[in-house]
Amino acid sequence: MTEAIATIAFWVFAITTVVGALGVVLAKRVFHSAMFLVVALGSTAAIYVLLSADFLATVQVLVYTGAIVILVLFAIMLTPQSVELPAFAPGGQQVGGAVVALALLALVIAAIRTGPWPLAAQPLDQPTSFAIGQGFLTTFLFPFELASLVLLVALIGAILLARED
Amino acid sequence: MPGLNQFLILGAIVFCIGIYGVLARRNVIVMLMSLELMLNGVNITLVAFNRFLTPPVGVSSSPFAGQMFALFVIAVAAAEAVLGLAIVIAVYRVRHTVQVDQIDLLRG
Repeated sequence: MTEAIATIAFWVFAITTVVGALGVVLAKRVFHSAMFLVVALGSTAAIYVLLSADFLATVQVLVYTGAIVILVLFAIMLTPQSVELPAFAPGGQQVGGAVVALALLALVIAAIRTGPWPLAAQPLDQPTSFAIGQGFLTTFLFPFELASLVLLVALIGAILLARED
Repeated sequence: MPGLNQFLILGAIVFCIGIYGVLARRNVIVMLMSLELMLNGVNITLVAFNRFLTPPVGVSSSPFAGQMFALFVIAVAAAEAVLGLAIVIAVYRVRHTVQVDQIDLLRG
């Protein structure tokens, strides 16, 4: 029973993710793209739940659909668009982009299908927060502190770049 | 329950849609959003690998190393979005446009 529910949930959220992603790149207005980005990122959070990554799903909702989308909306608000400008690249470049994307997709899917993966005996379904917190403060302490430095630099850099002087 | 391959293909599809967005759109903000989509596809792949290919204890120091990678990707993506949008706003002040084909001062 739970198996069936998980399968249905996977397909529902996988399709919403792909539709949202397509909406981001195909919507004519930037604001609509941002709204589709919320759909894509939100259903990705649901996919993380299906992969039993509870902490990561929370972070996804907080950081991506919370912070980054708000940031994008502010950027859209601060840069009024001239409506008559073409939203898309010239036709040739669009076709080229589609060809590159589809070729890469075919390549990756072929690579995924090549061999049997060395699957774990049991999929990893444990609560994650405790182990992730422990990992960040022991093995991954240096990258963790470095990440806070990166965020600080980004903060100062954003203030410097966007400041009116 | 869908297996590893389904999740990997989902990640690949999201990544490739992001590539199309970066290549085919003219608006810098939409291109940045497509970039976020690409990072998101990579994250799905990382988390799927983490769940299905967990190394036995002792080989890896933490069973959730893959998810921690994804968290670092999210942190870097946040920094990238902040700086990218700050640059967009700074460019808009000078050039009054966010269309990449009109920001062509360095074109030969």
